Amino acid sequence: MAFPGSSDLSSDLIGGVTTERSAGATRGDDPLERRAIAAVRQGDPGAYDYLVSKYMKRVVSIAWGIVRNAHDAEDLAQEAFVRAYEHLPRFRSEEPFGPWIYRIVTNLSLDVAKHRTRFRHEELTMAEPADRRDDADLPAHRNELAARIDAAIESLPEMQRVVARLHLVEQFDHAEIARMMKLSEGTVRSHLSLARKKLRAKLADLYGENDE
Amino acid sequence: MSDDRFFEKLREDAQPLRYEPDDFMVTRITARVQERISVPTSVSGMLARWFRPLAASMAALVLAASLGLAWMERSAQTTAPSVESIAANNPVEISVAGDVYSVNNE
Repeated sequence: MAFPGSSDLSSDLIGGVTTERSAGATRGDDPLERRAIAAVRQGDPGAYDYLVSKYMKRVVSIAWGIVRNAHDAEDLAQEAFVRAYEHLPRFRSEEPFGPWIYRIVTNLSLDVAKHRTRFRHEELTMAEPADRRDDADLPAHRNELAARIDAAIESLPEMQRVVARLHLVEQFDHAEIARMMKLSEGTVRSHLSLARKKLRAKLADLYGENDE
Repeated sequence: MSDDRFFEKLREDAQPLRYEPDDFMVTRITARVQERISVPTSVSGMLARWFRPLAASMAALVLAASLGLAWMERSAQTTAPSVESIAANNPVEISVAGDVYSVNNE
């Protein structure tokens, strides 16, 4: 497949961009995405804008869901895209880009969250509590129900919290979460099962008791 | 409500919890990513960028001058015949006391 000039390709790609969230296209069915990846590999960094634009919102949302801080989420999204770019030559072009960038940002965010937990623990032992979570970053349009759900998810242990958020908020299925977090599907199901029980108990007044 | 139904309903209700980056954040991230993935310009690269068009211009000038000189030499050769060729093509005849003498190379 012949490619036009790099500037033409870049404008062509950006002109036809659809965000991953709006298109719901996590599968490798986007010919523009394949063209962008091929163009970047051939030395056209401008073509990478298409991939950044397409996956940006979802990547930021995943990072924010784990670290719960807008500044950190921004830095993590940036870092994830740069790392993906640097490793693009090793990326299998027949695979969709989405799951790959989601895995990168998830792992980066988990590293930051773990580091922060350790750091916070050290601070707490020094009687200097530090809460890096920024409530001002919370989406303003959330209603009361969503706020209750958010609080319930946040109260879960870390792995259950991350898995539950990826499943409930980001709408990933078990297999996708397993790939993103380098876990088996069974482990993901186990985390979700435990999370479901705890969430059900916490939100019993909203959804009723288990009638089974 | 069954556990499965509860989780499905919870999944529907949790969708508004997605974080939506604003346009400024999107622009910032895009710009920073582009900045970081752009190949940094080295000194040699910068010199090469200046030198290439300069060298190309010089080469074009030299080529034009060479072609011009060659053409001038050739035209000078064709338009300015030597004394010998003039003498060969235009024999000089001198008349003295009724006799005609001819001057040529031989």
